[in-house]
Amino acid sequence: MPKDKAEKNRARFKEGDRVQVKDMPNIFYTRTQNYVRGAIGTIAARTYEDLIPEDEAFNYDGRLEQYYIVRFRQKDLWEEYPFDKDTLQTELPDRWLEPVRS
Amino acid sequence: MTSRPKLRQQYEIISSFQPALHVPQNWNYENSEPLYRALMHPPHDVGGQHDIPVHYEEKEEEQWELNTYVTCEVLGWRGVWNSEERRRRADNDLGYTLYLGMPYYGRWIWSAARMLVDKKHISLTELLEKIAEVKSRYAKR
Repeated sequence: MPKDKAEKNRARFKEGDRVQVKDMPNIFYTRTQNYVRGAIGTIAARTYEDLIPEDEAFNYDGRLEQYYIVRFRQKDLWEEYPFDKDTLQTELPDRWLEPVRS
Repeated sequence: MTSRPKLRQQYEIISSFQPALHVPQNWNYENSEPLYRALMHPPHDVGGQHDIPVHYEEKEEEQWELNTYVTCEVLGWRGVWNSEERRRRADNDLGYTLYLGMPYYGRWIWSAARMLVDKKHISLTELLEKIAEVKSRYAKR
């Protein structure tokens, strides 16, 4: 069992918060898409607590973490994207996000 | 035994997988950061990559696909793995060539078999003998 199991479950963000996705090393397994790493988006919803994918994939279960639906502007993800208003939503756990000061 | 022409054909297909046919590289001593990131990138994260136009068709699951799905779920209920992260992680361990080359549920059943062998629920020899037995049973039909 991971050492920091006792670590308090974090839920640092609320709807409307601006967040940046961390660009952690990408080896063995992840659910954080390459194209959202480093991108800035907005919390669209706070969803549920669930296992951390990178741990779950290797049997380290037990820690739960808050998940969020994060909304990105397509143009922020793909420069050449033709429509300003289109967005893309994906789901990420707390540990993959950093607050953005506006 | 596999016939000689069949064996030759199989080797030709395997040779066509060689990375050297795409970009000259073979057991590099040093990799640039972009190349390293590309090499480590897990195959299932396909968003943003170029692709050829794909023809989508409405297709019902075949019986073996449904059986595979149920088998993987049952293995989850019995606690030997879970049918989401652990199965998907095993799918990724196929590497690009096999990941992209196999049918969707082909990856699932490959992962289930690999996991059962890894966890010593069955031995590889048992598995080989069972597959051979089933194959010969079907061949007689």
